[in-house]
Amino acid sequence: MTTRTARSATSRAASSRRRGRYGAPAVLLAPFLLLFTACTLVPVGYAIHLSLYTEQRGGLGFGGTETLFTGWGNYARALKDDAFLEGFANIALYCLMYIPLMIALALALALLLDSALARAKRFFQLALFIPHAVPGIIAALIWMYLYTPGISPVLDLLETAGTRPDLLGNPLPAVVNMALWQWTGYNVVIFYAALQAIPREVLEAAVVDGAGPVRTAISIKMPLIRASLAMVGLFTVIGSLQLFTEPMILHGTAPAVTSAWTPNMYAYTAAFERSDYGLAAASSVLLAAAAALLSFAVTRLARPRPESRKERAA
Amino acid sequence: MRSPLFSRRRSLRAGAAIAAATLCGSLLAACGGDQDDVPGADGKPVTLTFWGWAKGTQEVVADFNASHPDIRVTFEEIPSGNAGGYAKITNAVKAGNAPDVFNIEYPQLPDFVSQGAVQDISSLVDDSLKGKYLPQAAELTALGGRTWALPLDVAPQTFFYRKDLFRKAGITVPRTWDEFRDAAKKLKTAQPKTRIATFFPDDPTTFEAMAWQNGARWFTAEDDAWKVNLKGPETGKAADYWQKMVDDDLVQVQPSFSQQWTASLQKGETAGYLGASWGAGVLKANLGSAPGMDGNWAVAPMPTWDGQPASGMLGGTTFAVSKDSKKARAAVEFATWATTTPEGMKARIDSGTSSSYPAATALLPVAKKAFDTKFYGGQDIYGLYAEAAESIKPGWTWGPVMGVTNGSLKDSFGKVAGKTGTIQDALTTAQQATLDEFKNRGLKVAP
Repeated sequence: MTTRTARSATSRAASSRRRGRYGAPAVLLAPFLLLFTACTLVPVGYAIHLSLYTEQRGGLGFGGTETLFTGWGNYARALKDDAFLEGFANIALYCLMYIPLMIALALALALLLDSALARAKRFFQLALFIPHAVPGIIAALIWMYLYTPGISPVLDLLETAGTRPDLLGNPLPAVVNMALWQWTGYNVVIFYAALQAIPREVLEAAVVDGAGPVRTAISIKMPLIRASLAMVGLFTVIGSLQLFTEPMILHGTAPAVTSAWTPNMYAYTAAFERSDYGLAAASSVLLAAAAALLSFAVTRLARPRPESRKERAA
Repeated sequence: MRSPLFSRRRSLRAGAAIAAATLCGSLLAACGGDQDDVPGADGKPVTLTFWGWAKGTQEVVADFNASHPDIRVTFEEIPSGNAGGYAKITNAVKAGNAPDVFNIEYPQLPDFVSQGAVQDISSLVDDSLKGKYLPQAAELTALGGRTWALPLDVAPQTFFYRKDLFRKAGITVPRTWDEFRDAAKKLKTAQPKTRIATFFPDDPTTFEAMAWQNGARWFTAEDDAWKVNLKGPETGKAADYWQKMVDDDLVQVQPSFSQQWTASLQKGETAGYLGASWGAGVLKANLGSAPGMDGNWAVAPMPTWDGQPASGMLGGTTFAVSKDSKKARAAVEFATWATTTPEGMKARIDSGTSSSYPAATALLPVAKKAFDTKFYGGQDIYGLYAEAAESIKPGWTWGPVMGVTNGSLKDSFGKVAGKTGTIQDALTTAQQATLDEFKNRGLKVAP
């Protein structure tokens, strides 16, 4: 509120001062706007441009190519392609399996760290975070090694125990496992920070009212870090839509991971294996639109309803 | 991934415009009789950039540079075609910063020509040069009546096997596919963990060579329209055979050249490899240091359906000149040297890792002398290659959208590995995907 009043005050100030007032924000914003335009707006614009054209050959195809305007043609082709839609289905299944597991695990670990009983908190925080510090490609390569029968020590051990799990034949759990390993610790840190920010008097009041540690965790702590939960959920959904590195690495070794296993891989294959840049651009634009829609929906859903806010105030 | 990708695309555009502008400029200049690639015209050597991955290339380039003061080749090793090399070349061509010369395998050549990435070098390749190559190889580099590339090697199919394991199981080298199946069964009975060979779910080209060997023709150019036939009886026979081998668990199912494949060869769980001439070098390089391998491998002709020698071709590399290169003359000179001279061939094979069979057949003695066959117990493998090369079935043509055809096959072969689909299904899907792409690209299909 106070900033808003201050801002309206400046608009009433003398015009000579106004330039000075806007000069500083302009200078400070310029690097961001410049990079944002060069690295995001222009490429997105060019992608949209590319998505409207197609390359035609004619005859036997040995007489050169020409670029033709096709309008929505590439979009229609992507949307009619089962492989592209299957990619979205794979992502949906992945989200259904990964997000509840990851959030439950991260939340449980964060609550344990936050509980009065925890020892060596700093050590566990760091230990949990370390997997996230390993670059995704390296992690994927290491996991692929662990998944590959014949060279994986873990699978060799399991085989002597009598089971022969086919991890490369079931890519979904394999990819979920990689993501869990990489992201759980990161989100534990976010949840833990939110838990630390809860006013201590609220927790003390709960204890005075006779709530045990479990009751406090479920009825006091979890509702109070709702905003963090929503944020992690949102980022995870968006991140999942962009899923690329892990399945792409697996693609080389696991034939069950097809070249269009995720929408991002579909775009990659279209561009670099089929040399169909129009289709690649169209599918990328569609993916971006899906991500925007989804994040809008998730933010809307995660926002607390006005009624419940009133209740809490009362 | 998105932003760097598309910002690169953008610079590609600018690059292409610049390349087009310079091309126009150079055409005008050429009229003035002053080509960029006349060596030593200004006292400086012509510099050529060259991308490739074939084994022994570094040595070839070094020897060429040492013996040709007027041309200087800069070699950059790129990942092998399907491992990302082709994507790199396509992008570079689109960006206008492609190398002057690059390696490309026969199956991908029509696709690249059709995308406009390759320069027509007909005027620089005379009949005497063409006559030096095995006809089946020359045939694959001539498309639409023009010459697009110079063949480096031909790749007749061959069967590599472990002599010691075969002896232990009491089997002789199979000459027909029926005998091959029997041998596979016997081997499995003798050593329950060992299989005779591998079905590569990630590599349709091995299966394509099997179809080719049986006389299939997937693509035929008739007048100015294509006939696409992935579902002919010759292909069907090969498909059913391999389906049964996979279903009955008589072959390993592992990705080609994967760690998994190498590990299983080293452990003796895979006793054979259905490959091609260049495979001798690959096996030697992959397994040479493992214990118990040296001298235990041998090479045999590919089993056939009727016992008569027949072969398809599996891979095989050519030298192509990129669309916008203004140094085509020097590029062809380099490619000619690398593919047809004893010095060029010797440098490649001397590197110790290449067992390619020269497309210029006169070089056979050079290659034979240069390749150390100790790993194969001193066997005359080049003599065997020569017979296999003669038996390559003529008339096979690769299609103009092999990226799509092979991509589709590869995805469906994954289902064969997962037992959720068959090779016949894969062929039906790929036939449809190929025809769809023809339509999408405006290519003509014969009715």
